[in-house]
Amino acid sequence: MAWISLLLAGMFEVVGVLGMNRIKRDNNAMAYLLFITGLILSFGFLSYALRSLPMGTAYGIWTGIGTVGATLVGMFFFAESKDWRRILFIAMVLGASVGLKLLS
Amino acid sequence: MNRSWLYIFIGVVFEVCWVIGFKHADSLITWLGTVIALAISFVLVLLASSKLPVGTVYAVFTGMGTGGTVLAEILLFDEPVKITKLLLIVLLLAGVLGLKLVGNSSDSKEAAH
Repeated sequence: MAWISLLLAGMFEVVGVLGMNRIKRDNNAMAYLLFITGLILSFGFLSYALRSLPMGTAYGIWTGIGTVGATLVGMFFFAESKDWRRILFIAMVLGASVGLKLLS
Repeated sequence: MNRSWLYIFIGVVFEVCWVIGFKHADSLITWLGTVIALAISFVLVLLASSKLPVGTVYAVFTGMGTGGTVLAEILLFDEPVKITKLLLIVLLLAGVLGLKLVGNSSDSKEAAH
């Protein structure tokens, strides 16, 4: 459950970041709702995951999934660069996360 | 030293504090302290990124935050030092920093044309 919770925490961080970008662009109630819901759920799931996982591992994977998620959303929904270096960095984050999971 | 960098360094200290809190808080007072630390680190990052490029702030912050939590769990909470685990965290961090730094510059190039 802790690992699933950590995955969800990273994904909701992406929702929060999307909300933050919407606030800059549209500044409406929906944007704030997205930002606040994303953030609260992200920290809630992270705190649950941290109870049983080591801090460095959980914190690293949380930011890792958040960053990879935001990059993927940018690539597929906002036509951001699909530069090979970005793909390589995504693979590094995901590979390292899977490794940490297998190691635990 | 630039004031914004000072904000980042202090922000990281509070960041590590709330991560420790999320793991170890067990009373109203410690949870309250955790939430306050979270709020302070948030505000300091926002202050820093109003003067410095957001990608750079985030990259430095995440790098030091991850390093800080790993150190804290080893030095303060007797987490065993496992080389494979540390190497995987370094690999993960390198990927995150790459996305924040390289990714950011290619974005701004795209935005420019």
